[in-house]
Amino acid sequence: MMCRSAEQPDPQDTGGDATDVLFAALLEDSADELYESAPCGYLSALMDGTIAKINSTLLGWLSLDREAVVGRMRFTDLLTVGGKLYHETHFAPLLRMQGEISGIALDIKQSAGGRMPVLVSAAVKYGSTGQPLLTRTTVFDARDRRAYEEELLRRRDAAEEARKQAEADRARLQEALAVLQQSLLPDTLPPIPGVETAAHYHTASPDRLGGDFYDVFPLDGKRFAFFLGDVCGKGPQAAAVTSLTRYTLRAAALHDPDPVSALSTLNTVLHERYADSGDPRYCTAVFGTLGPDPTTGHVAVQLASGGHPPVLVLRADGTADFLPTPGGLLVGVVPGARFTTATTVLTPGDTLLLYTDGLTEARTGDDQSDRYGDEALRGFAVRHAGRPPDAVVQALTGLLHGFGDGLDDDTALLAIGVPATGPAPCDPATPD
Amino acid sequence: MMSPLKTTVRETAAGPVLEVTGELDYTSAPELRELTATITLRPGLRLVLDLGGMEFCDSSGITALLAARSHAHAAGADIALAAVPAHTLRVLRMVGLDEVFTIHPDRESVIGS
Repeated sequence: MMCRSAEQPDPQDTGGDATDVLFAALLEDSADELYESAPCGYLSALMDGTIAKINSTLLGWLSLDREAVVGRMRFTDLLTVGGKLYHETHFAPLLRMQGEISGIALDIKQSAGGRMPVLVSAAVKYGSTGQPLLTRTTVFDARDRRAYEEELLRRRDAAEEARKQAEADRARLQEALAVLQQSLLPDTLPPIPGVETAAHYHTASPDRLGGDFYDVFPLDGKRFAFFLGDVCGKGPQAAAVTSLTRYTLRAAALHDPDPVSALSTLNTVLHERYADSGDPRYCTAVFGTLGPDPTTGHVAVQLASGGHPPVLVLRADGTADFLPTPGGLLVGVVPGARFTTATTVLTPGDTLLLYTDGLTEARTGDDQSDRYGDEALRGFAVRHAGRPPDAVVQALTGLLHGFGDGLDDDTALLAIGVPATGPAPCDPATPD
Repeated sequence: MMSPLKTTVRETAAGPVLEVTGELDYTSAPELRELTATITLRPGLRLVLDLGGMEFCDSSGITALLAARSHAHAAGADIALAAVPAHTLRVLRMVGLDEVFTIHPDRESVIGS
């Protein structure tokens, strides 16, 4: 029993003689002709796999003669090694179980050594008593389809590669930003005999370079200088101002450590650099000096403010008050700006707290319509008065975290204190 | 809730009046800066920023006010702030700008003058 998979086409009743003639001309001469020359491969095989019949189309793809195939080869002989394996493990078992299988992608061997991707469907023909008689198989040319799939895969790989590249670029940019950000802030604060310091920087956005800054550095072996401030604006332009500000203040202080003098130098530098640039840039800053007295353990603080929120002094006795610096002008706005000075003395257990307005301007309340404010900050400071700087900064860091989304600006904190336990009048030449 | 920035400009004989309402912060300040840069001024005129409806102003907002001042001075014109809200007035005092800007307590005294 040979396979006649295509019945003689039965022309539909078109009701027109001309159409009939046209159809008659198009009709295949015979079912054999249709079978042999169909645009797909046909083969029939006995249940042991021996090929009993094969059409010319498939023989053409294989570049084999009919005599070499029929009765001599099995279907699996036409497949590549991988195809054979897949046939044994999946194709044949499924076909035996289901009686049919369709659309399986396999490669057939071509006699020239090439391989041709095909899609294979097969069905078992059963006898009248239900016993399997033979397998009919159709083989479709899948070369174009495979090329298309490969192109899709290639493009997917290219897209994946581009995505990885973009991620790598982004990581590199983040790293560059982080390095720049770190250049704006000290890695660690220098040890100061008889003084403890602690700092914290909250970045509102990892992508956005911040405009807050602080630093602590030695002046002349006895005295130290500190500053903290806030450049108006954010992003790379603000960061450039931050960098200029930090190094100007450091250099100015080495030349003349007087706080007003240091801020005046910064004012001149910023005004000359930015006033006529069409992109005015300013900052607020507190600059101060620390004069530890090794005999008393007290630390004399002299500071000046240019438009910055007043610093807080947390006393060992559990009080906390602002050290007012009214009237000091934003740095860089006008030439010859005036800055306001203040002095205080830190005794054991006292801590000086500098902060930027990200803290006091944080949004609070159920609908985030309120601002945290100066008085709330002072109240918070009272509750932590008498504690060492790192404990105060840690408590404030917790407060900042508590603001959640309400904290939408960068915030810098710097606390400078004198240890409460044993004034330990120490020699400034000896690190503590 | 946060209110978006709204601005309107009207011309008076003494010069333009720019009314600012809503929140002037990092996100909205560039808008004000771009707007003020387009306002035409000439010597003898005074640009008045009416801040009566301004609900919030941070350091970026202050920068925008200072940019407006630069713009006015570059044209040889004057600038004044009117009806500055208490919170912003406190900030202006803190950064010393109450001595840099001419500040009028209400809009009538400056616009009417």
